[in-house]
This record gives sequence, C-alpha cells and structure tokens, in this order.
Amino acid sequence: MEIKLLTEHYDKKEFRFIEGYKKLGGYETLKKAFSLKPEEIINEVKASGLRGRGGAGFPTGVKWSFLPQNGEKRYLLCNADEGEPGTFKDRLMMERAPHQLIEGMIISAYAINSPKSYIYVRGEYNYPIKVLEKALQEAYDAGYLGKNILGSGFDHDMDIYRGAGAYICGEETGMISSLEGKKGQPKLKPPFPAIKGYLGQPTIVNNVETLAAVKYIIRDGAEAYRKYGTEKSAGTKLFSVSGNVNKPGTYEVPLGYPLMDLINNECGGMKNGAKLKAVIPGGSSAPILTAEEVQKTTMDYECLAQMGSMLGSGAVIVMDDSNCMVDMLKVTLHFYHHESCGQCTPCREGTGWIHKIVSSIVNGEGRLQDIDLLEKIAQQMMGRTICALSDAAAMPTLGFITKFKDEFEFFVREGRSKVKEVRAHA
Amino acid sequence: MPKITLNGKSIEVADGITIIEAYKQLDEPIAHYCWHPGLTIAGVCRLCVVEIEGNPRLQIACNTVVQDGMVVNNNSEKVKTAVKWGLDFHLINHPLDCPICDQAGECELQNQYMEFGKYDPEMAEHKVKKRKVVDLGERIVLDTERCILCSRCVRFTNEVSKTNELGIFNRGDRSEVGTFEDKPLNNKYSVNTVDICPVGALTSKDFRFRQRVWYLKDKPSICTGCSTGCSVNVYYNEEGIFRLKPRFNKDVNGYWMCDEGRDIYKHINKENRMVRGRYKKDGAWCSTLPLETAKKAGEKLRTYSADQIAVLVTGQYTNEELDVFVNYAVNKLGTKNIFHWKNNPDGWNEFDGLLLRGDKNPNSKGLQKVLQKHTVGGEWKDLVNQIDKFKAVVVAGPENLQAYPDLKEKIGTLARLECVVWATADDNIAFEGLMDFTYLIPQKTSVEKSGHFTNYNGLEQKVDVVTTLLSDSLNLEETVELLVGESVDMSQREKEDMHVMKKNYFTTERGRL
Repeated sequence: MEIKLLTEHYDKKEFRFIEGYKKLGGYETLKKAFSLKPEEIINEVKASGLRGRGGAGFPTGVKWSFLPQNGEKRYLLCNADEGEPGTFKDRLMMERAPHQLIEGMIISAYAINSPKSYIYVRGEYNYPIKVLEKALQEAYDAGYLGKNILGSGFDHDMDIYRGAGAYICGEETGMISSLEGKKGQPKLKPPFPAIKGYLGQPTIVNNVETLAAVKYIIRDGAEAYRKYGTEKSAGTKLFSVSGNVNKPGTYEVPLGYPLMDLINNECGGMKNGAKLKAVIPGGSSAPILTAEEVQKTTMDYECLAQMGSMLGSGAVIVMDDSNCMVDMLKVTLHFYHHESCGQCTPCREGTGWIHKIVSSIVNGEGRLQDIDLLEKIAQQMMGRTICALSDAAAMPTLGFITKFKDEFEFFVREGRSKVKEVRAHA
Repeated sequence: MPKITLNGKSIEVADGITIIEAYKQLDEPIAHYCWHPGLTIAGVCRLCVVEIEGNPRLQIACNTVVQDGMVVNNNSEKVKTAVKWGLDFHLINHPLDCPICDQAGECELQNQYMEFGKYDPEMAEHKVKKRKVVDLGERIVLDTERCILCSRCVRFTNEVSKTNELGIFNRGDRSEVGTFEDKPLNNKYSVNTVDICPVGALTSKDFRFRQRVWYLKDKPSICTGCSTGCSVNVYYNEEGIFRLKPRFNKDVNGYWMCDEGRDIYKHINKENRMVRGRYKKDGAWCSTLPLETAKKAGEKLRTYSADQIAVLVTGQYTNEELDVFVNYAVNKLGTKNIFHWKNNPDGWNEFDGLLLRGDKNPNSKGLQKVLQKHTVGGEWKDLVNQIDKFKAVVVAGPENLQAYPDLKEKIGTLARLECVVWATADDNIAFEGLMDFTYLIPQKTSVEKSGHFTNYNGLEQKVDVVTTLLSDSLNLEETVELLVGESVDMSQREKEDMHVMKKNYFTTERGRL
C-alpha cells in the first residue's frame, strides 16, 4: 500500500509556495526542533533508524555523530545531483515540495550546528532549480533562514549550487570537489568528509530524501517513523519506477514492500500484459534481478543485499521480454564509460574496455572468450578504486552476464540478438 | 613506535607513516606509479594494494597509515592478481612503442611488467587515440598516449614549483594531461616532471633521441650551477655527458633540481672546452699541451715583482684547489692583491625560494674561507681601482663561462695588463680580445676531479671523478705546481684517455624537435 508521508501534499500546488506550505503545517516542525537540544535531534534520528536514501544506505544519525567535537566550522551539503539512471524522485521532491527540503535541512543543520549549507543540484534540473530558488528567497524573507532564526539564536545560510551534469558529482567527495570549484572527482578517503570535507572543514552530505525525512522524524517522533518499514530498514521510501509498466512514476511505499506488489498494484502491472523478464531494483548500478527473483523480493536494504543486488536510490527499472539484455548492458556501460572521472586506473581503463567488448558483441564481432573476459575484468574492477563508480559498472556487468548468459552466447555465436529473433517469429 | 609485520617480517616504524613508506624502509618490493615521496598522495594507480589482516578488502598502501600490530602482506595470490590486473589496466591503452620510446630501459611500466606482467594479452579492442608529440614548451615534449595519468607531474607543478601549469583534461579514458590552452610549461623546474614521469609521456627535448639509457652509466656528483650545490647523478658514456638528474638529498635539494643546472653538462662536454693550451705571441695564437702553456706562463710570471701581480679567483674550484692556489699566490708570488671575482655582485644573494641562487658558483663559501685564512681578498671593483699599478694577472677563471655573462667586458679590462695567465675549462670567443703574453691553461671540470665544494649553507660536499673527457687538462693544483716550475707526472693520463672520442653528432648538432 502506498503510504503518503513525505508525498502527502505533493499534488497540491500551493504546497510549493510558503503560504500554502505553512497552511499545511509547514515550518511548525522547525519550531519544535528549536525547542529541542541538537543532541536530542541527533538521537531521535538515530532512534528512527533512518538510512541514507541516496544509494549507500548508511545510517544518517551515525554519520552525523562522526563530526569531530572541536568547534570547527561545519557544512551541510544536500546531494541533489540526482544522476543515477532510472532515478527521478529528488526532482519530484524539489519541484513539488521545496520548503519541505529546506525545513528538513534547517533542522538537520541545527542538529549538527552548521551555519552554512548548500543544495548541490544536478545542472540539467532547470525547473527544480527555479522552484528552489524562489522557495529559498521566500524562506529568507519569512525569517526561516539568516540570523537568529525564529528567535532561537541559531544562524543559518543556505545556497543553491548548480552542477554541470556529471554523474560523478553525485558521489559525496566528488560533489565537494566540484563545490570547491575543482574538477569534479572523488577525493581519497580517509579522511572522510565528516572529518575533512568542503574547504577542509567537517562536512555532512545527505540526500534530498534523507533530509526531507528528518522533518517527519522530528514532527512525529522516531517511534512513529519506525512504524513504517522493517526492523532494519525503517520508514518509507520513494521509488522511481520506469520501464514496461502501465503507470511509471514515483511512489512512496514503506520499506520491505514486495516488489511484485509495487509493479502490480501501484504501477498497474506490465504494459500490454507482457511477460516480466527482469527488474533493475536500485538504479543502473544495481545488479539485475530475473523475473523469478523478483517474485520473492521485498524492497528493503537487507532483502536486496541478500539477493546480490541493492536498494540504491530506489530506481526500479522494469523490463519485459522484448528487451535484449546484451543491448541493455551496452547502453548501461556506455553511461559508465562516459561518466568515469578517469582518476583511478581500473575504472578509467576498465569501463572503457568492458564497454568496447560489449559493443563488439552487439556489432556482431564478439568472441566466445569475451564473456569470460568481461567477467574477469568486472571482478578486477570491484573494490579497487577511490569511489564506487567502478563497482557501479562492474556489478551490473556481472549481473547481466551471469543471469542472461545464454543471450550473450547467442549473440556471439549468431551475431544477432536472441530476443529480436524470438519476436520476429512470434 | 608501532610494530607491524610486512610480508612476515617484523619492523618497528615511526608513528603516522604509511604502509608504503614502511615497505620502502624494509626495502621490500611494492609496485606503485602515482606515489612519490616528494609529493602528496593521489591514490589513483591502485598498484600498491596490500592485504591487511582482518580487512576483507585490499587497501592501498600509500594512503593507509600504519597501526600497531598490523599484519600486512603484498605477496598473497589475491594481491598478486590485483597487481597483475592493475598493470594490465595501465597497459591496455598504452601504445607499447618501447622501441622508439626514450623511457625504454628506465620505464616503470617495463620494470613492473617484468615483475607482474600478465603476459597473455586479452585486449582485442581498438586503443584510445590521443595527442602525440605535444610541444609543451622549451624543454618538454608530451605524448598523451603513453601517459598513465598518475598525476605526478600535475602535483609537481601544484605543490613544488607552485606554477600550476599542468592539469588533467577530459574524463574517463579520454583523460589527458596538458596545459590550459596549450600554454607552455616554462617554469624553472620543468624538467623534474620528466624525471618523475614513470613512463615515456614527458620527455626532455634536450635528451630525447640522443642516447639509449642502457648505453649510459651514472655516477653521483654535485651540480655546480649555483651555490645551492644540488646532489645529482651524471649520466655519461664515452661520447660525453648526456644529462644530469637530481639525486635525493634531504639536506640540500630534496628530490629536485632546476632546469638551469641540467644544462651545465653542456660546457663540460668536449665541444665547448679549451682542449689545447694557448698563448699569444707576436699577435698570433700558438697552441701547446696544457702543461707546456703552464710552464711558459710560470716563466713569464717570474719576471714580475710581487707588487706587479694581481690574482683573480672565482668560486668554481674545489676547496683543496683553492687552498693550494691562494697559498701559491700569497707565499710564492708574494702578493696580497687577491680579488674575488663574482658573477653578479648585485644579485649575489638572490634566491627563488626553492633552489636557485644568484651566486652561480658552487664554492663561493669555500673560497671566502680560504681568503679569510690568509686575510686577503678584494672585489673586482678594487682591482679596477688600482689596475694601473699591475702588470700581470693570474686568473683562476670560471669553469662555466655561461654563468659570467659580462665575461667580454671583464676581459676587455684585463687586456690592459701586459700579461694574463688564465686557467679556464671552457673556450670562448671573448678570449680573442687578449693581447700578447696571454696564457690560457685548460682546466678540468667538476666531473673530472675529486675534492669538496662548500655550499651556500656551509655544507661541505664531496665530489669524485665521474669520467675524464680531456685527459691532459689540469686541475688547479697541478697548474700551480707547473707555474712554480715543478713538474707534473702526466704518464698516467694516457691510460685514462682510453676513450677514443668519436665526433658526437648528438651533442654537437642538436636538432630541433
């Protein structure tokens, strides 16, 4: 069942503007937050079991508590560089509820005692940026940002930073590099951003959805938030469903929700009644699930990890049996080849190499040993680099070639797609 | 002091060092490209991976700080496979043009390949094509296809020279090192980027295509280009000297040297040297063996009284030579008129903050010490003020005439004297301006003699004979012996001169890029 917690007022146009937002209970939670001590907020977030909604799923409260207690200036960065292919939930959240994000950010900034935050928005998001800019101005005018917010003595400034369209800038240290005006490429860890981040200061980077969820945790309390979801994956999650379903879109469901229910109930089932072939459950870097696996999949961090995939950013790509998996992998790898920042050798060279091999197969020039080679290369690309982009290219490669090996072998042998042949005869 | 175990060997190391530094201390082999002890950590080549007990993921040794009790190895199958593949990733788009690459023989890709190579090429796709023979400025050529993007050169210009010319442009396997809008890389330390380039991507225009490195030998020496006295290795063979490279010395130059210093080998090579001794008689130059010239000069000098003789000396000789020479001037010639000739008295104390100094002599400090010992020593201007009272001058001239740009003007002044005895290693057209009773005595250069130089900081550094280029040239001590009429045994010299000098097309006719 769809649970409308974050998305409750998303279809009301007035929710996008400050008057309407306030009328619907907006900025009330901020007042409540200021009546609490920052540590109380952090503890509440910890108790809620909220995990990062950007992809890695790291417990948010724990991340916050990594900040050093040495009085250094801290920064809060909102990661709105939504770049994972298949994901479009942050865009919706910024377009429909900019104040919800701003409020969540002010609360979070108060909790970690940060005087300055940035929203790093993907460069192509022209409209969300416009909406956010207006909302930010409204928040300043209403005194929710600036000096001594609501008489609490807490000062906070917020800015929007527009990215230039690089996937890698969605990686938190890549984002920090970009924000610092450098080439957007991830930084070596350790030190982690919580110790040494933006401009060398302690920095917390959280996803749009994570920061917005903080508002609801403070509003209703950790207990209420935990009512949704599972023991280890608490709360609700926005899923961006795309592909061969009748009603693609963004749906908020509790974590642990069965994937088949999401497809059949929320998304209205497969388009044209076609047969489900596979689902990519967490954005293009998540290993693919076969139709069989999908049946027993619930959408939470644990189940998907157990299935050898991941929840990622919650981008569900549904494919029916008209999709050629070799072609699909080629498209995916083209993306990673294009987006690799080029720092670490295994990723820089590996993404190009596997993309070229799969392209060769699609061009009818494949060799049988190429399939094993792809597997070998992908394995050597995993866990070898500064950031996870290399893994993000390697994991789907391994998923595709192990689960749909016959399609790859057919393509190599015959020089054409197995699926297209099937369709031609049908 | 954390105690750690590397490849089964226990070692106690300093707090806060990285695993790769511990490996280096233990002298255990560890593959790496991007790590360089003189630069910050990039962590991008991913070759220095190690297995740390209790950690399922391989870690890079360059960015992992040692902790007490750590058990680390880099010889397990897991690490070896990772390094093998790491190397393969470096090689798949590398042009493998070793036969025409200048780095061959000192290339880290080649070296690592011998150690870790996968040996069965699996790359069947087209390689990425990138820019080749990019003219990066006065001294450097870039081949972006050979580049493995270790970013050492970029970090060098950011952190050491602080000139920030280089950057990495584009992304992924299209990444290329370059300069913004192809502006030239013309800083005073640019060739260090060639030294630290682990492959043949950055090559020195001065050295490329001159010599295969396996035909070169190298010996340690000291750069004589200025008073910093950087530690260097001199690369040479029977055809002459081909290049200088910095040698690590934490007290003087660290890992680096300046571009200017790299050029000093040019005046050392035979083409620029005073090969035969020369003297001028009846308006014409006669040439003899160096020792004959010195003897003749000694005879002539003995015809003057002590107060008619001035002595001019430069800080381009070893402490030992200067001691003998000044002693000779004071006690044999009996003169107190000894003058210290400086290359650029106004900019004498200039320093660029890294290595280069205005005093272009390797041993000015040593000379000052010797002069103080005898309580003598004036400046050039003192000599000029009283020049009319002198009839003869003995000059221990600069070995590197390039460092004395006002040479011609100075020679013009000295030509007013009746007799000039000049010890010089290099030949120069300006010597033509000298008159009768001029004696030019060929000297050895710093790589042909042993002794000590005292640098700006008072640090005394030893130099040894690297090679002999001109076997019958003299050092200053020998010159003094001949000047006073003693004999010098030259019989050993023949043996040293075992190299029959071929005409060196490379060093004489340096072509353009």
